[in-house]
Amino acid sequence: MEKHISSQFDADLTGVSSRVLELGGLVESQTRHAVYALAQFSAEAADQVIATERQVNTLEVEIDAELASIIARRQPTARDLRLLMAISKITGNLERVGDEAERIARMVKQILQQGSPRNLPSTELRVASDLASGLLRKSLDAFARLDVNTALEILKEDDLIDAEFNGFMRKLVTYMMEDPRTISASLDLLFVAKAIERIGDHAKNIAEFVIYVVKGADVRHTALADIESAVK
Amino acid sequence: MPNSATPIRNAIEIRNLDFYYGSFKGLKGINLDIAEGRVTAFIGPSGCGKSTLLRTLNRMYSLYPGQRAEGEIKLHGQNILDAKQDLNLLRARVGMVFQKPTPFPMSIYDNIAFGVKLYENLSRSEMDDRVEWALSKAAIWNEVKDKLGQSGLSLSGGQQQRLCIARTVAVKPSVILLDEPTSALDPISTAKVEELVNELKNDYTVAIVTHNMQQAARVSDYTAYMYLGELIEFGKTDQIFMKPTRQETEDYITGRFG
Repeated sequence: MEKHISSQFDADLTGVSSRVLELGGLVESQTRHAVYALAQFSAEAADQVIATERQVNTLEVEIDAELASIIARRQPTARDLRLLMAISKITGNLERVGDEAERIARMVKQILQQGSPRNLPSTELRVASDLASGLLRKSLDAFARLDVNTALEILKEDDLIDAEFNGFMRKLVTYMMEDPRTISASLDLLFVAKAIERIGDHAKNIAEFVIYVVKGADVRHTALADIESAVK
Repeated sequence: MPNSATPIRNAIEIRNLDFYYGSFKGLKGINLDIAEGRVTAFIGPSGCGKSTLLRTLNRMYSLYPGQRAEGEIKLHGQNILDAKQDLNLLRARVGMVFQKPTPFPMSIYDNIAFGVKLYENLSRSEMDDRVEWALSKAAIWNEVKDKLGQSGLSLSGGQQQRLCIARTVAVKPSVILLDEPTSALDPISTAKVEELVNELKNDYTVAIVTHNMQQAARVSDYTAYMYLGELIEFGKTDQIFMKPTRQETEDYITGRFG
């Protein structure tokens, strides 16, 4: 992308973009810690996730203020306008990822308090959670490089997480039928699984906004095949 | 191009228009439709031909020897480049407002009445009505109604410009051309003129040349981006400012034009 005549405008856009990546890095590490807390039933890791939440919220508010200032001062158009719109949406999605990670952490603590967590199939969430945090990282890469091909890959891979989620849910149901004493903890795990699935959805949303910035096509609520033909 | 399925009619249809300043070709093969009852904005860097194009629409260039247009400009179906075209009549149908306010050195009342007298024979009371109507249309009536006898030059710049718009409106043209109408005005006067443009389009077809891209984005329905005498891109204003199809347009409107 060619530079603006106004170097300050370029600096503003680069500045706010790098803040988004900073926020992304923060919630990505939150997600990884949440997954670790789940796998190891670590209260310590769970606490760390919860403690990061405040930082995430502060950063979200700061990014929004920067966006408002750029829009007011620069009256951005075309690709610049789309970038700022997308950043606003991506920031919202990242903050929600942080919320989901926090939700997982709180669930882990709850399961720990109820005791005997290891009877549950929590390790089976491994695949889905690795997929989700991987997808999140990939979506941040796609944004950093404004890379449409990577964004398209993410849209495809999100389906894998959804499939994992459905499989896991069926498995939990059999656990609950076999031993009703696991129902309470199983429900907690179900919420965790749902949070992981949501993180995948947020990564997918971010990928869609990357396509919007680069191609100008709003591909939300659009079938994959139609998206692929729209970005050709 | 406006969708042919929409019921909007074209006030002006420009076909294969070339324009020459002597041997210099100022406009190259322009094809463009100007929709009736809409605002069409022309943007582009200095010297791109946007003012030249505007001046062909009422053949203002005919005042200068050595300047000529080739091609076709149809105003409601009639080619105005035809040698038989009555230029005074054309300029009554296609009015023009310039960058600097140009009130006549006469009273506010006469500034409006002067042009009307050339085309119509109105009684005193009919003329009074017409003057009030035109000044009201230009959103300046309340500011001048108690001093119609004062010189038009006694008004502020913003008021003078609205007086000129009133003068243009007074002869009931079908098209109004605005050439940088606010570049000499302060922001409040600019906002008033922009609001006026918005109201005028209910009754008139408006074409506006502006260096202020945000102004084009604010006031127009369609935007044409011109560069070096060519029409680079034309489309709905929303589309041009959100997702232009040509890289040149994108570079210009985002301020990447080197």
